Amino acid sequence: MRELISQALKERFGELCRKRIISLAPEKFGEQAAYVSLLRERLLKATPAEIKEDSKAALHVPDHWTETGAGCLPSLRALSLCQRLELRPAHLPPPVPFVKLLKESGPTPSRRFQLLAERYSCPLNIALDVEEEVREYVLNSLMVRDRARVEKGGVAPPMADELLLKLSLMSVAAALLPDLRFLDALNYYYELLPAEWLPSGQSGWLLVCYYGLYARALAAWI
Amino acid sequence: MRAGILANSLPAALKIYDEALKVRGCAPFILLCPTQGESGWRSVSKHLARLFLKRGRAKSLRLIFGRRVLLFRKRLDHPDTLERLKRLNLDVGLHKAGVIYREPTIHAFRLGILNPHIGRLPGYRGRNVMEWSVIQGDAVGITVFFIDAGIDTGQRIVLREEVDIKHCRSIGEAKQYLFDLDAEFFRRALELLRSEDFEYQLNDDSGRRYYVMSKLFQGVVEKVIMNYEF
Repeated sequence: MRELISQALKERFGELCRKRIISLAPEKFGEQAAYVSLLRERLLKATPAEIKEDSKAALHVPDHWTETGAGCLPSLRALSLCQRLELRPAHLPPPVPFVKLLKESGPTPSRRFQLLAERYSCPLNIALDVEEEVREYVLNSLMVRDRARVEKGGVAPPMADELLLKLSLMSVAAALLPDLRFLDALNYYYELLPAEWLPSGQSGWLLVCYYGLYARALAAWI
Repeated sequence: MRAGILANSLPAALKIYDEALKVRGCAPFILLCPTQGESGWRSVSKHLARLFLKRGRAKSLRLIFGRRVLLFRKRLDHPDTLERLKRLNLDVGLHKAGVIYREPTIHAFRLGILNPHIGRLPGYRGRNVMEWSVIQGDAVGITVFFIDAGIDTGQRIVLREEVDIKHCRSIGEAKQYLFDLDAEFFRRALELLRSEDFEYQLNDDSGRRYYVMSKLFQGVVEKVIMNYEF
């Protein structure tokens, strides 16, 4: 079984790195062109084993709640390139009211984006045991509500940033936790989102970030 | 025991009706529910078409004239439907309809509504649970439990059993095989509910909720099933 899964993931890894990512033209990403170019270069020739080895130093479950000075989005970008984050211990925020906040944010993707980006200023925290409830909530929202919306009408611009942030956070969880559901949510969205889709807006590069982190999650399971 | 088979079509409920009849003291009824998003009249025309075009017409007519079939034109949580359901004094509902039940509908049955879930609870809740069981190397099975308003979270499990699917050659075949066991599992669950020393098993929160599986992993499951040795 393990071998069959590994084989399927290897094929997906190849397709993702050699076809999907390479088709993204860096010049379309404005200020982030250099980042897109660097990520493409890193993933184009690397094998899953090399990516896995490369990821070890940067992608790990922290011992306790941590902070980075950089903030969520720059940290995700760094992790997709496998750059180590500068971590420092921090106080654990209470998890239950946070899920409540997400639920109460209603039809405002930008509010949920802000809440998630604030909480996961260090994205590695998503893999901590104490974050189980939040992880389950994010996975559920991706695979039920968001999936239904995307299948019905594609990704509307206000939803794109939130969706890609959630997929990037799920990629971190998939790379670090022994739970195939997180990885398969990424598999599912890879199949669902059109290959040529490029979100507009300032966070368009988050799509590339998600692809980069997805590649690392695949490598972790191969 | 009065059992109501909640179905969208009469032919779909006949096998369950036959099995329920085998349970000592069980009086089954077929409750034809409207399909979501379909008008009452359209629903009635479809039932009539099925009655005359599908097999088992004589039997269906016998059940209709024997007042064993009830047609509900309004949705199941509509006050009129709830009132009718309560007047029927049903002990248990048997789920065979493509609907999601709300609390008032569930409570219209003395014990609740039974669902034959094609996964082993509490481990496997949600979607594609047969496939998820296979890909994680766990046993495939069926759990008959009383539903609540959540997704496979009803706490009272009546019957849970491993089912061998090694003779199946595809995901579709394996799922159909499991779905086709619903009548037999309903009968066995009803028999258990009637037995004196019966105790529920607990569907606690120890499992995981699963979601629609990607084509990539479905391909893996398909290969595993295709290569089963039996």
